[in-house]
Amino acid sequence: MFPIDIRPDKLGEEMLDYSRKLGQGMQNLLDAGDIDSGVSPKDAVYREDKLVLYRYQRPAEVAQQETPLLVVYALVNRPYMTDIQEDRSTIKGLLATGQDVYLIDWGYPDQADSSLTLDDYINGYIDRCVDHIRHTHGVDKVNILGICQGGSFSLMYSALHPDKVRNLVTMVTPVDFKTPDNMLSNWVQNVDVDLAVDTMGNIPGELLNWSFLSLKPFSLTGQKYVNMVDMLDKPEKAKNFLRMEQWIFDSPDQAGETFRQFIKDFYQQNAFINGTARVGERPVDLKQIRCPVLNIYALQDHLVPPDASKALNGLTGSEDYTELAFPGGHIGIYVSGKAQKEVTPAIGEWLNAR
Amino acid sequence: MTQNAFFDDSWLKLQRDYWDGLAKMGSQAMGMESSPASNSAAAPWLAAMEQWRKALAPAASDPARDFMQRLMDQGQAYFGLAEQFTKGLGDAGLGQGGDTTRAWDWLNQTIEQMQKGFSGIGADQDESLRRMLGFWEMPLDNWQRMMSSLSPMMPGDMLRNMPNGMMRGPMQEGLEQMLSAPGLGYSREEQAQYQDLMRAGIDYQRAFQAYSGFFNQLGVKALHRLRDQLQQKSEAGETINSARGLYDTWVGCCEAVYADEVITPEYSRVHGQLINAQMALKQRLSIMVDESLGAMNMPTRGELRTLQDRLQETRRENKKLRQELDQIQRRLATLPAVAPADSQAKASTGGSTTSGTSTGAAKKTSARKKTAAKPSTQPDAS
Repeated sequence: MFPIDIRPDKLGEEMLDYSRKLGQGMQNLLDAGDIDSGVSPKDAVYREDKLVLYRYQRPAEVAQQETPLLVVYALVNRPYMTDIQEDRSTIKGLLATGQDVYLIDWGYPDQADSSLTLDDYINGYIDRCVDHIRHTHGVDKVNILGICQGGSFSLMYSALHPDKVRNLVTMVTPVDFKTPDNMLSNWVQNVDVDLAVDTMGNIPGELLNWSFLSLKPFSLTGQKYVNMVDMLDKPEKAKNFLRMEQWIFDSPDQAGETFRQFIKDFYQQNAFINGTARVGERPVDLKQIRCPVLNIYALQDHLVPPDASKALNGLTGSEDYTELAFPGGHIGIYVSGKAQKEVTPAIGEWLNAR
Repeated sequence: MTQNAFFDDSWLKLQRDYWDGLAKMGSQAMGMESSPASNSAAAPWLAAMEQWRKALAPAASDPARDFMQRLMDQGQAYFGLAEQFTKGLGDAGLGQGGDTTRAWDWLNQTIEQMQKGFSGIGADQDESLRRMLGFWEMPLDNWQRMMSSLSPMMPGDMLRNMPNGMMRGPMQEGLEQMLSAPGLGYSREEQAQYQDLMRAGIDYQRAFQAYSGFFNQLGVKALHRLRDQLQQKSEAGETINSARGLYDTWVGCCEAVYADEVITPEYSRVHGQLINAQMALKQRLSIMVDESLGAMNMPTRGELRTLQDRLQETRRENKKLRQELDQIQRRLATLPAVAPADSQAKASTGGSTTSGTSTGAAKKTSARKKTAAKPSTQPDAS
């Protein structure tokens, strides 16, 4: 039997259906107007250089936890992904569990920021945000939730400032940067990072976008658009898709010196695993993290493979270490309907119990 | 000619009519004169799609326009694939219920033809085959787009279209020999810089050729994978009965082969060489731009970089000092107040500044509280 049996009448029907949806979808795209994102009301409470620290307004009906929660996002892409739309918002979910949520927006570094180092980000910006929150609330310690690279930053911060962190949550955070299935890691092993940073100053967001799209080029730059036609005939879905599309390509440049150190120390030398991580003058000893740790990873994560995150188990000095596996991808863990029901409530519950 | 008229007439007419209708509607909506959409007899839907895009694109926002383009591109790939297989089978009289052996022969021949396409042999492939091969251009196309965005002075495809063999063999040796000749006279240094730039350009082109060569190999492997998968489906008694099913199978094969190959050390090397060669070329360009700026007594990128480093060092120190001062003030603010008489006595002996400091700290703390209450606090204005 020959395995292709596409009946002409069915093919014509399929093509027409595609065409009809595409036509309607185009109209919806034209009508989409401005794409808003970042839906939960928030206030800027602290600014420094291009950084803005936001505090989200808590819902009146929810009893507030005493210890505030600081969300440390990655330098890659923009943090509004955590609050991308009304029914897909990690932030909203956290607020609903009573967390007093703060979030660092790193802004868009330009060439004047190219000399910023990991030390500036971790012992500088993050530490001053933490101090601001501590003083505002009159508490010694805050809860920290680090996302992706922000999770790696949070690990370093918690190891260097254990006296200021009550609970640490890491989400899709790379710890072992050299697991065999880590494509990004394989790709940068032969890249002369010094040459790149010396040449470019900051590393352009376009270069990172290209790398991320190259992880699954046919699905991410091709098939996705064909599949989307099925949804484009519904105006709200078309708008949601555009919103996500905008986020995907909204990539800030990376401050050169930080990029240099992060890629060399972590992607090329696997500093957490080899115990060689340093921030400024100080070595990073993950055993100094003695607070409770919740490590959340995504089982279908093609950017940070599950094993890259699970490597955290046993590396910290915490006696209260919990793992949570989410059946989804690197982004789905924030924006999927399933994540709204499973991930954020679990984080809130875990924090509230500690 | 075909034994199944549907593929020549009904199906294409169906598409042409539909797309023509859409194109006309789109043009009228934009207040434009509609023009015949289906100029190409081979792929009327393609011409109609393009016409439609041109009509609607000006009215769309930037993200929507870009997105629209991607939908169009993928629509072309999707329809192109369906056209390649269904029309091919139809032309050969192997549609539904046809001779299975001949159908497999046709598939094998088609795959062979496509393999030649990946190898650069057989430039006279038909349009639908080129569109299907074009699918494998996506990773390279992404690179070109990214490259163009980084180097406005050097379009991404500037070096791409040089003949494949140009950077190999005697021509390459001759060029490299010429570029290694030492410069002479007063402009020796300038000559050397141009030679370095040209060498970097050659290195980049060589790296890009190695990179695209790697992808061509992957394309061939993906075709093998497709054939294997169709074979497996056949053995399992499964059939693909929609264009989407065929497209998804093809994407799955491409993605699976890609994932297997880009995790290898060989790809890591090819990828690293491409990035490094690109950066080396850009660095040579930057050096020459800096030289020109310097000659015009203008600040150079290098000088600015030095200033940025020094400034950041100073700011880092300032911020650290400010933070330490802050901490000290907070600690002092928590100390119990010292009786004025006692403090005066101490002050008169010059033994302690506790009182003064304490009062000052209390005031500063109060001032800080006010500041802290205001958003937008800038701890360092430097």
